Amino acid sequence: MKKLDNESFIKKMSKRYYIEWKEEPPKDFSRREFAFVVSRKGEVIRHKAFEKWSDVKEFLCKNSPLHVYYSSAYYAQPSAPDMDAKEWMGADLVFDIDVDHIYTPCKEQHDKWMCLNCGAIGNGMPPEECLKCSSKRIEAKTWFCEKCLEIAKEETIKLVEDFLIQDFGLSPQEISIVFSGRRGFHIHVESDVVRELDQRARREIVDYVRGTGLMVQDKKRRALAPPLNAGGWPGRIAKGVYELLNSGNVEGLLNIKGGSKAEEAIRAIIKRLEESQDYWPLEGVTRRVWLKVVEKVIAHKHCEVDERVTTDIKRLIRLPGTLHGGTGLIAAKVRLSGIESFDPYVHAVAFLKGNVKVKVLNMPEITFLNQTWGPYNNEVVELPIGLAVYLICSENAILVSEEVEVD
Amino acid sequence: MIFSKIDAATYPFINLASQLVRELEKSLGISAILSPDSEVLRRSIERIREAVYSRTTSVYKKDLDIEILSHPVALLLIKHMNNAKLVNIYAEAEKNRALVNLLKEDYEKLMALAVDGFNWHVRKEGGYLFIRFDDYLKTSVNMLDAYWKLVNRRLVNGYVELPRRDFSRLLAEAYRVRILERAGQAEDVQVPSALKLVIEELDKEFRAALPKVDMDTTYVNEYKPSAFPPCVSKLLEEAEQGKNLSHMARFTLATFLISIGKRPEELLNVFRKMPDFDEGKTLYHLRHIAGELGSRTRYTPPSCATLRTFGLCVANDSLCQKVKHPLTYYSKKLKLLKRERT
Repeated sequence: MKKLDNESFIKKMSKRYYIEWKEEPPKDFSRREFAFVVSRKGEVIRHKAFEKWSDVKEFLCKNSPLHVYYSSAYYAQPSAPDMDAKEWMGADLVFDIDVDHIYTPCKEQHDKWMCLNCGAIGNGMPPEECLKCSSKRIEAKTWFCEKCLEIAKEETIKLVEDFLIQDFGLSPQEISIVFSGRRGFHIHVESDVVRELDQRARREIVDYVRGTGLMVQDKKRRALAPPLNAGGWPGRIAKGVYELLNSGNVEGLLNIKGGSKAEEAIRAIIKRLEESQDYWPLEGVTRRVWLKVVEKVIAHKHCEVDERVTTDIKRLIRLPGTLHGGTGLIAAKVRLSGIESFDPYVHAVAFLKGNVKVKVLNMPEITFLNQTWGPYNNEVVELPIGLAVYLICSENAILVSEEVEVD
Repeated sequence: MIFSKIDAATYPFINLASQLVRELEKSLGISAILSPDSEVLRRSIERIREAVYSRTTSVYKKDLDIEILSHPVALLLIKHMNNAKLVNIYAEAEKNRALVNLLKEDYEKLMALAVDGFNWHVRKEGGYLFIRFDDYLKTSVNMLDAYWKLVNRRLVNGYVELPRRDFSRLLAEAYRVRILERAGQAEDVQVPSALKLVIEELDKEFRAALPKVDMDTTYVNEYKPSAFPPCVSKLLEEAEQGKNLSHMARFTLATFLISIGKRPEELLNVFRKMPDFDEGKTLYHLRHIAGELGSRTRYTPPSCATLRTFGLCVANDSLCQKVKHPLTYYSKKLKLLKRERT
């Protein structure tokens, strides 16, 4: 038993995890490029390819990497060091839903940022630039709370059920949902239908799920109202408008002036939606009300995916089932039917047995393995090993124990 | 559906057309087809002339064999002329001819043509045709109008709903793209020397008939802010106000101005008011973009589609509807302004 520094400790834990590792390979894994981050300084091993799946496990055990990635693309020569020499043969369709990019009100409570230029600090979502000195060198300390998790789940369910299955007609067997290991989910589509789509086609898909470029008026600037039973976005809008107008307090919500006229317009829209089988034209007040409501509906029904991830046809993405070196959590596959009850601080915890003494620099109250911990501030505490690994990986704690119990 | 010879003559993209071409090549012999007095050659040249002078081609119904052979022979001639403009014009004209005929076809025929010619997954329901989204996207990404964006289509269960008219337009566009692909492929047919002279003559004729390439996106070399596309004008304005522009915004501004002939050093003032301005770093980035450093690639501005995705598109005038690249907007606007002055 010897004293371990943080990095050796993480690598040791990582090795322990990969020895027991059992994970299904992605489709045609031998056509994929693999990449590994092997040290905290960021040393990377790239352009690896594996013929046998057991070789992947062997590599992981031997090198205990902090991050493991594979290409969403299939290549004729996946291990060629030059991107052009790899010969692209197609790629999965991948989506990234990350709370980093979505506004959540709870961030005010648990996220902090600091400007590395002038030292200004603030709470909540880090601004693009420092509010004081406008520098872009901003460091953020972020946490993933239950509310953040809820929002990430909602977006994921919306993407998979409403868009990928309903609109794009993909089957649930072709779609896998994977916890990103930190603050969101990756959605992988392995299907021949999407495999050969180029960047431009994938951009169209991103624009579709984000509702970008959606026309709500025709070329003569007439607003056209679709019927409730329409498919795709038109039906989504019609249903959304109907739900919203029936929810009460519409005037307050929309900030509509015009009193009885607006009320009349709302009643007229509801009636037309209930009766119409086809598009119908809108004019005057009804048109104004309609357009206002539609704006709200799109904001509510669209899906916040990161367009850079989906449009990149040669992207490296975290391999499902591997550890995230910034949290020590497993990038665990999640079933669509089980996503609502998925709790990363239970189901993505890799290490369950034993306790470790750490000095916690800063941690808000956290529910980990169904137990509440913290808040801690610069204190030495004994924590369950999973939480200790999480804090050390995210640089919120330092290892104190001189010895680490091995099972 | 069983296609007829007239279908093969009208729609060169169906399998029957290629099959007949192969058979005719065998029975007539390539050298006879390409001999100076061959009827096929005469019709092929006529077909290209029709494209150049009337922007569409006709269907020569007197001899269907000749008509069927004239398309691949026309393409062969065009390939040897090595004139990108001519390729585009021929493809566009062929598309127009296909479209005129497609618009007259019924649902069943349209579906059969799409399946046979392009392996599209299609079906019919009610008064609409449906096409699987991946087939739709592979062609629709070439269409400029927001009308063709997937987000503005009814997409249900993997299939995009299309009125018959739009289905015909998409099919014609797929044919145009096919011609461009074919024109880009290497040619293995040797041209007899007598034909080489004919090709040279034609090449001269068409280079004179077709205006100089009007969309050379890389070298316009004229600085005229009043002709800038609205997106660039807006970014310039914001830079002037000292707003902190996003990476994409800065990249767009820099690549645009460099593409129209500005030197990196001249652009420092554009970025000077940014809150995080650093002269050394900015110059380094600008020189990179200009291809003076690093990979020596000179970067061009992002396309309208990319700008839209990044929320930088302003698209507030009618010229925007007609272009898909900010530099095209600029060169077209420059011309318009000049025409107004004279």
